[in-house]
Order: sequence, then C-alpha cells, then structure tokens
Amino acid sequence: MSNRIYNVLFHTHTVSGLVISVALYVIFFAGSISFFRDDIIAWERNQPIKAQTQMNADFDQILDTLATRYGDLRGRTINIRQPHQERNVAVTIEPSQDTSATESAKRSVYTYLDTKTYEEGTYYSTYTLGEFIYRLHFFAQIPYPYGYLLSGFVAFFFLFAIVTGLIVHWKKIVSNFYLFRPWAKLKTVWTDAHTVLGLIGLPFQFIFSVTGAVLIIGTTIMLGPASSLIYNNDRDLMYRELLDQPLPPAFTNHPVDFDQSPNELVKRAQSSWNNAVLGRLCIQNYGDESMKILVEARPQTRGALLGLGRATFDKTGVLIDQTDEESINYIVGVDQMMRRLHFGDFGGYGLKIIYFVFGIITCFVILSGVLLWVEARDKRSTEPWKRNANQWVASIFVAISLSMYPSIALLFSMVRLVHDAGDLAPHVFIYSMFFTSWLILSIGFAVCRNNYLTNKYCLLLGSILGFAIPVVNGVVTGNWMWYTYNVQQLQIFVVDAFWFVTSLISLLVFLRLKTRQPEPLLEKEAPSEACELVEASTF
Amino acid sequence: MPAHKKHLTKSFHQRFAKITAGFLGGYAVTVSLFMALSLWWDRAGVMVTLIFGGFILWAGLMIVAFLFRNGWLAWLLYLVLATVFSAVFYFNQYTLPL
Repeated sequence: MSNRIYNVLFHTHTVSGLVISVALYVIFFAGSISFFRDDIIAWERNQPIKAQTQMNADFDQILDTLATRYGDLRGRTINIRQPHQERNVAVTIEPSQDTSATESAKRSVYTYLDTKTYEEGTYYSTYTLGEFIYRLHFFAQIPYPYGYLLSGFVAFFFLFAIVTGLIVHWKKIVSNFYLFRPWAKLKTVWTDAHTVLGLIGLPFQFIFSVTGAVLIIGTTIMLGPASSLIYNNDRDLMYRELLDQPLPPAFTNHPVDFDQSPNELVKRAQSSWNNAVLGRLCIQNYGDESMKILVEARPQTRGALLGLGRATFDKTGVLIDQTDEESINYIVGVDQMMRRLHFGDFGGYGLKIIYFVFGIITCFVILSGVLLWVEARDKRSTEPWKRNANQWVASIFVAISLSMYPSIALLFSMVRLVHDAGDLAPHVFIYSMFFTSWLILSIGFAVCRNNYLTNKYCLLLGSILGFAIPVVNGVVTGNWMWYTYNVQQLQIFVVDAFWFVTSLISLLVFLRLKTRQPEPLLEKEAPSEACELVEASTF
Repeated sequence: MPAHKKHLTKSFHQRFAKITAGFLGGYAVTVSLFMALSLWWDRAGVMVTLIFGGFILWAGLMIVAFLFRNGWLAWLLYLVLATVFSAVFYFNQYTLPL
C-alpha cells in the first residue's frame, strides 16, 4: 500500500469515525442493554415467562373475544403473532371483504391482547422501559423517518469506518496485537486500546454494522428503486415475494360455517413438528368458502438455526399442505439470519452475555478513538485555539456518552418506584425522566471539561444507582433476587442480577482508578501568555 | 500520527467529487448492478441479496472513490458503470424482454 493511500484512508477513517461517534455510542450502549429487552419487560410488568412457551394461548377464546369486540369476523383476515417473549400477543384484523358487512367489520384493527386476562392495550398503553431502550438504539424517538434514516446511515458509515480502519491497521495487525503500554503517554494508551480491542471485536462489529443497516434502512434505501421499477409500487407483491408468503386466497362471498377449533388445528400442526416454536396463526377470509388457516413455526434454536414450518388447513380442517419446521429456502433464510445475528437470540443467556460484553467493548473502541484523536492533535505545533476546541469536543462527547449509564440506571428505579402502573401513556413519564437526567448530567460533566472526572463519577453514580435497582425491586414487589432465583422466575432474576454484577464491576473499577490527571492543556506546554490571551478571547 | 496533510486532497471541488462519487455514484452502481442481475437469476433471491450485500459493495465503492487522484474520474467510472447496468435493465425490462 502506497504512502498516499495509507494516509488518505487513515483520514477517511478518522473523519467518518468522528462524525458518527456519539450517535454510534448511543446505539451500541442502548443496543447492548436491549439484548435483555424481553427480560426487562417481564421485570417491569412483574410477569415472568417460562422459556419456550411462546404463543401459549387459547386461540378459540381469543377469536370469540375479538368477534364480540370488533364485530363479525366473516370475510376478514386475522393474524396473531407474538414478536417477543411476553404474555401479550399482537393481533391484526383486516377489514371485511364482504361489501355488505357492518361498519365496524370494515375497519382494520391492530391491538395487543393479554393471553391471560384478555385485556387489550394500544401500542402506547403497553409501552415499556424495555421498549424505550430498544427504540432508543435506533433513534425512534426522533420523528419517523428521520430517526430511522439517521441510525441506518450511522450503521452504514460505521461499516465504512470498520473497513478503512482495518486497511490502515493491516500491516500492524500481528505486531501490535500484543502491544499494550498502559504507563506510556495517554495517546499511546488510547491507540493500543483502540487497535487491539477494535481487532478483537472486528467480526462482531462487522456483523452489527451490516445487519443494523439491513434491518433499519435495508428496504427503504436498498429496495427503493426496485420497488418502483420492478414491482411497480405494488408493495403487497414485493413483500409477498421477498418474505416468501403464499398468495392469499381470493374472496368468493360464499359464506360457510366454520366449526373447527383453531386450538385443535394448531395442536394437529404441531404434532408432526418436532417440538417447534409457534410463530404465527393466520386465518384468511374467515367464514368464507375460500377460508384458509395457516400455522407457522420455527425450530428450537437447539435443533436448527433457521427454519420455517408452515401448515395450511382449509375451512373443514383438512390439512392441505405442511412443510417441515427445519425446511428453509434462501429468501426466508436471509431474513431470519439477519435477525438471528442481530438479536443474538440463538444461544440462551450465555450468548447474550458475550454479545453484551462485545457491545460494551465497541463503546470503548468508539470513545478511545475520539480521545486518541484529541491526544494526537494536542501538541505544540497545533494552534492553541484548535487544541482548546478539540478538548471541548472531547469533553462534550465523553460527557454525553458516559452519562447514559447513570441515566438508564436511574430510569429503572424510577419506573419501579414512582411510576403508576395504570398510566395510559407511560412513554411520557419515561421520556421526561430519561432525557432530563441525561441532559443535566451531560451538560454538568461537559462544562467541567475533565474527562477523568466524568469517567470516575459516571462509574460511581451508575454503580450506586445500579445497586439500588434490585433493592428497589425487592422492596416494592417482594421479588428479591434469592426469591426469584429459587422459584425460577428467570427473567426477573436476570435483570436484577445484571444490575448487581455491572454495578459491582463499575464500583471495583472506580475504587481502582488512580489519579493520573493530565495537567490542564494550557499550562502544559504552550507559552502561557499567548494562551491566556487566547483563552480570554475565546471564552 | 494524524494523517500526513501532504497526501490529502486540498481542493474543495476534488473532495466534493470524491465524497459524492462514493456516496451517490457508489449507490447507483450497486443498485443498478443488482437490478440488472435480477433479470437472469431468481429475482427474489437477488433482491434479498441486495438488501445485505448491497451495503458491503457500496461501502467498498466508497473506499475506491477515495483512491482516485482525480475525483471526477471516479465519478466518470461510476457513471459509466451505472449507465451500462441501467441500460441492460431498462432494455430487458421494457423493450426486449428476455
């Protein structure tokens, strides 16, 4: 590689990395916690779910309930899914295709139904802390589509930064892998940490930059031209083809009596699958001659990583077609693989913990990159005002990034302590609580302009607030960690244990931190008079 | 450590050319290539490959654009490639179906 190319790529790596740094940190920090999204929701609602009990529902009762609440189901298509491991199922009902149907049957329905109490909720009334942190990691709080586009392009530029970083570091991959000089000057410390941890985390980071971009802007950006030029803006056709869905049966308007029990059909479909996990129940054209019932399942991850089994019944309950739960084709396989890799849900808690640790390592790589950028420019030949500005940038970046930790820890306790469970708009409380504390801490730490202090006290604050979470949960709900462990309420236990362990580690780090404050920049090297003048004029 | 300035592009219009060639031109090449390929291979398969493979190719093309000494040459190359792929797609899709 020529010297020119090396320097050019080095510069693109620096600029792209610096531009996305804070946003990427937020994505990785919130995203790492989101590996435990379902556990956090179970913790918050105090509804532990047994493992591998997905879609454990009484579908006969659900359909009866829906029919009494939303009018006649005849001629409508009903979809019941459970996208996450929780007690609620997501239900969509399409408008009736029968033109003589009542007004209420011509409306489409989107609702969440509790499979135990049959209480319903809207998206917002069932909004949770877990959902908030999950959505924070792709900036869904910024109005659509700007938040999605921002996070998607941050993921894409992250891919660019990873590849350019790898090329720049290529020749030193082996020689510098064993190099760590913690007692050298700060610039060296950050460089060693950035390159070695960046290299160790490379496969993980590559996976997440690609899958992240795919999941958030894959269809809008990559398929934009194809959706109009190939599919002629027929989005139904496009999604049916790209998700490999069968063509829905045409409505005939010949009413028939449907006397089958959906529960029985699900049981029959499952009997020929080997312990598959139910994914979806879809009833097309309910009560019509053309009616079909689709039951979809996937293999348990112990058996196969990917797979989609689909059983199709007709209106009399005759099995028309059934595929094996481990059968897979390329199209469905790509979609499932992207999700598996991104959500890390194929290896139990062990894998989630490894993924979490790698996520935090990536946060460290991002921050050390920013600090390295500042240190490398903190020298006599750089103009003092530039050095000063760089220090400001670093302290603002570090303050915003690190204060996420105490803010999220505080949010957990507050949701448990203060928040009213009957609140119909829980997102308002969560937004104001989190964003206010994050803003105050960020500004407070940023104006101190001391990264050492920011790091130290974010760790201490996060640790104290984190220790408070299992205690607050125990006092308020009686679910102390030893109790939830003994009765195998694993999801609730995992959240409390997560905070206990991370708080313990941060406390140990806090106690081991040695004061090695770099002397303030302006007193260090620069001739003092000129700098005082600059400082006075700048601030 | 910071990259040596003498190797970096100084003129604004050259920088502008390289960044836009990589970002816009790279995108056009990626999407038009996959759309042309979808005429021969399984359409849905090519499209789902575009969703993930497209980002990797696009990032690669962005890097390549920075390697050019003259950014407008990168633009020219990407424009020619995108035009060829689009033409292949256009004539097969609309005028001479295979």
